[in-house]
Amino acid sequence: MLRPFEIHEPATVAEASRLLARLGEQAAVYAGGTELLLLMKEGLAHFPHLVNIKTIGGLDAIAFEDGVLRLGAVATHREIETSPAARQHAPLVARVASQVGNLRVRAAGTIGGNLCFAEPHSDPAAVLVAWDATLVLARAGGERCVPAAGFFLGMLQTAREPDEILTAVEVRPLPPGTGAAYHRFALHERPTAAVAAVVTVRDGAVAAARVVVGSVGPVPVRVPEAEDALAGRRPEGEVLRAAAEVAGRRADVLEDMFTSTEYKRHLVSLLAARALHDAVSAARTAH
Amino acid sequence: MTAGRRDSGEGKGGAAAPVDVVGTPVSRVDALDKVTGAAKYTGDLIVPGMLYGKVLRSPFPHARIICVDASAAERIPGVRAVLTGRDLADLDPYYGHAVRDRPVVAIDRVRFAGEPVAAVAADDEHTAHAALAAIQVEYQELPAVTDLTMALNDGAPRVHEEALRPGFLHSGEFRREEGNICYHYRIARGDAARAMAAADVVVEGDYTFPAVYQYAMEPHTVVAQWSADGLTVWACCQHPYLVRAELAGIFRLPQSAVRVIVPYVGGGFGSKSYTRMEPLTAALARKAGRPIRIANRVDEAMLTTRRHNMRCWLRTGVARDGRVVARECRIWLDTGAYADNGPRVALAAGDAAPGPYRWQAVAVDAWAVYTHMPPAGSYRAFGATHLQWIGESQIDVLAHRLGIDPVECRRRNLLRPGEEVRPGRKPLEADLAADVSKVAAAVGWGTPKPPLVGRGVSIGVMGAGANPASTAAVRMQADGTLVLLASTTEIGQGARTVLAQIAAQELALPLERIRVAGADTHVTPYDRSTGASRSTTVAGLAVQRAAADVREQLLDIASRVWGLPRVALRLHEGAVWHETESRSYADLIATHFGIAGGELIGRGEVAPGRGDGQAAGPVFWEISCGGAEVELDPSTGRIRVRRLASVADVGKAINPQLVEVQDEGACLQGLGNAFFEEMLFDGGQLINGSLLEYRVPTMADLPDEFHSILVGNGVGPGPYGAMGVGEGALAAVPGAIVNALLDLGLQMRDLPLTPERVWRRLREVE
Repeated sequence: MLRPFEIHEPATVAEASRLLARLGEQAAVYAGGTELLLLMKEGLAHFPHLVNIKTIGGLDAIAFEDGVLRLGAVATHREIETSPAARQHAPLVARVASQVGNLRVRAAGTIGGNLCFAEPHSDPAAVLVAWDATLVLARAGGERCVPAAGFFLGMLQTAREPDEILTAVEVRPLPPGTGAAYHRFALHERPTAAVAAVVTVRDGAVAAARVVVGSVGPVPVRVPEAEDALAGRRPEGEVLRAAAEVAGRRADVLEDMFTSTEYKRHLVSLLAARALHDAVSAARTAH
Repeated sequence: MTAGRRDSGEGKGGAAAPVDVVGTPVSRVDALDKVTGAAKYTGDLIVPGMLYGKVLRSPFPHARIICVDASAAERIPGVRAVLTGRDLADLDPYYGHAVRDRPVVAIDRVRFAGEPVAAVAADDEHTAHAALAAIQVEYQELPAVTDLTMALNDGAPRVHEEALRPGFLHSGEFRREEGNICYHYRIARGDAARAMAAADVVVEGDYTFPAVYQYAMEPHTVVAQWSADGLTVWACCQHPYLVRAELAGIFRLPQSAVRVIVPYVGGGFGSKSYTRMEPLTAALARKAGRPIRIANRVDEAMLTTRRHNMRCWLRTGVARDGRVVARECRIWLDTGAYADNGPRVALAAGDAAPGPYRWQAVAVDAWAVYTHMPPAGSYRAFGATHLQWIGESQIDVLAHRLGIDPVECRRRNLLRPGEEVRPGRKPLEADLAADVSKVAAAVGWGTPKPPLVGRGVSIGVMGAGANPASTAAVRMQADGTLVLLASTTEIGQGARTVLAQIAAQELALPLERIRVAGADTHVTPYDRSTGASRSTTVAGLAVQRAAADVREQLLDIASRVWGLPRVALRLHEGAVWHETESRSYADLIATHFGIAGGELIGRGEVAPGRGDGQAAGPVFWEISCGGAEVELDPSTGRIRVRRLASVADVGKAINPQLVEVQDEGACLQGLGNAFFEEMLFDGGQLINGSLLEYRVPTMADLPDEFHSILVGNGVGPGPYGAMGVGEGALAAVPGAIVNALLDLGLQMRDLPLTPERVWRRLREVE
């Protein structure tokens, strides 16, 4: 049952930050609410104060400027999915937005809320870690940038300070010869297992690879052993298979009530093989 | 019970309605109210002075209650009353239509985690909820039996130590055994052991079915109010008259002092059958001296009633030519801490075990077993859903082994119309061989299959209609409109629409001149229940007779007014006609009463006493027939349903569109039971009590092709030859899918068919 709360509607990031600093643990940032309100309805969390950052002007903008695609933190998944700029400069980021939850969640839920909530099954989180996106955090005194890979500290835990607001996600177009792919397997609305891969192929060999496993552990993480298995090799048959197998074996897998860790490792290997195959194919056609 | 067709035939000489509304897909009469939100559900009601109730539930599956101290909670501002077991002293506090074993609120012990221990009434829900934490309960934990194996062990703790008291719906066949057996149902026909020994090929296996949740979109909601006249309850219940009887028993009131009113109901599927939250709400209202509303959350609804999890052993023997010989079956159903509808579920499961085949011998034992788990009761097609997939998969295993096509194997063995289904019960109406051929054709039986694609069919019959006991009344008002009074509840199935169509047909009235009242035991006449696919067949027949009664009165009046014999008259568009001359119904009523007023009242009933079937039922055999074509992804174990087909053998579709959506809904629930749904427990604690974690099918899970095939042979006992549907498909779908996997060489013996389970089975096979 949703208990009563007070909602604050700041007009600027600085104002929101000051409110958060003042209210401390009594307050939560409220954007789409698709995760937060569920938690509050289930009685798993209670915040007497919610700070609605959708009232801050410009925080929902999606724009490509100076070679960077900037996704405003309160842009909804639906807005990203349908954004011509996102589709052109980071098609996988747009596509993964279309896979989040369900249509109602995508219409209300925001990219910033999704990342800051740090639910372990986040689709965008896995992709943005693989993509090496940058998260912009702001407070009254200024702002800082954090790479996506350094943002997720644990289940429902991030590097965001209590008085900081995530204002934007910055995504650079992939370099030439680079392809990206994301594969997921979902029994419920949230994936059971997911793998994102970004691979650069130069002169027929893997010049760089980022393999990120999502949904099975507390946070999306790179699997260096799988990346090493690709480095410098021709991305074909046995090489990809071996890397995928390593990803399943080395992934940080948590147990849950629905599936065994054994099955999850199997899924990770399978999804890694699919993601690597697609990323390599895309890399070969990306100039 | 063929009187329905005779009745409708009687009128046809003088009063045949030239425009048929029966058999047409008219829009639901409640469609606009439901899409605009104007339709009122129990949770929409505000009774003046109403308080809000919240329930404190046991954290332990089995414990003695040493002490409940509510004094701190009672002192919280806004809290008006706290109900505990001590408040029941002057009541008969145990209820249950089958076994009176369930206390209104826990008295001296708790028998499942989630059992109500106390309830708070407060000015608002938040205050009530917050006050729960202030109630101090001292428990002494006791050893619990939280699954069937534990409950059946020698020396297992007894869930109920005392002698069991049969409930008011138990009809002389209450069989209690030692230990934790709640009820035992047995079928013994012929010498099964001997027949099995003589069979050429025998297959046997152990199977399991999980606990599942009915998931009605509206959880149980009740408003209770006491007055000098007695008790009034608004509830989203399926069976208002049975709830009335049970409340009268608990509160030691005459039945007439209890009034049960049922607004629109947001789905039930069995979860709102019999008595649920009504006694607790009424007891809290009595203590508070104020009206109370209690609305369950989803997790609370799951703990209120659920489908039985089951263990089953089944053996089937056949002759070399594919003729079925013998079947033996043992069924253990986990009915939880209280019997709920367990005895009837055991009976239905036992009846479903043989399947609709011609056996030499059958031996079935079905036990409902008490455990320290949440109680289990009705869910659409209970018993049949548990057993049909098992029996049908053994038919396919044997057919494959003998090299006989599974559909052909069924054709050789299926019962024919007129044959006895169970000794002493009514013979079969439907043509099962024709039904199974239809679903087989719809899923492409016999045509080439791509790799990793399998096909399966499944067929069964289930006793439906419950008992032939319904009454109805219609009031033809002075303005010629009709008010239809029936106690079938509108639970989403379209009962109000179908009943209106029947009355419209009998009285040649435009549909918009018929109003269907909601069930209210002070106003609408007796009906046994809304369930067992009986509303159209049984309540519909009572309505047909009530409407025909008014039609006869109108013809009598018109005959007197014109001085003409009735054969010279006909009914059309709300008027009685003689050749080109007409008198409206309003006109005839005014003439009859001599003033601009009056009304005609028609009554109709269905009762064994007037020749309407056997008191014990079934009223008819509902057909459960489905086919599936699936595609397996061997890398993940995931199954995609390419084609799904179901036969709704409906006798006569009063409203074909409503039949189709009923059938489709049952198919979707069948997919849920086959693929996804399972209540998960840890030491008796429900651990997936939310819809985030309890997976129901969504539109994204629909098959690529979905065929709902309506069969109308006019052979049913209901109005115009109708017989009920709406449950059968749920029982048919899991069997069709399990057999489609068998077609791919995968024998599955446990539901649900999760990808991991299928993947593991694949690895075993390889």
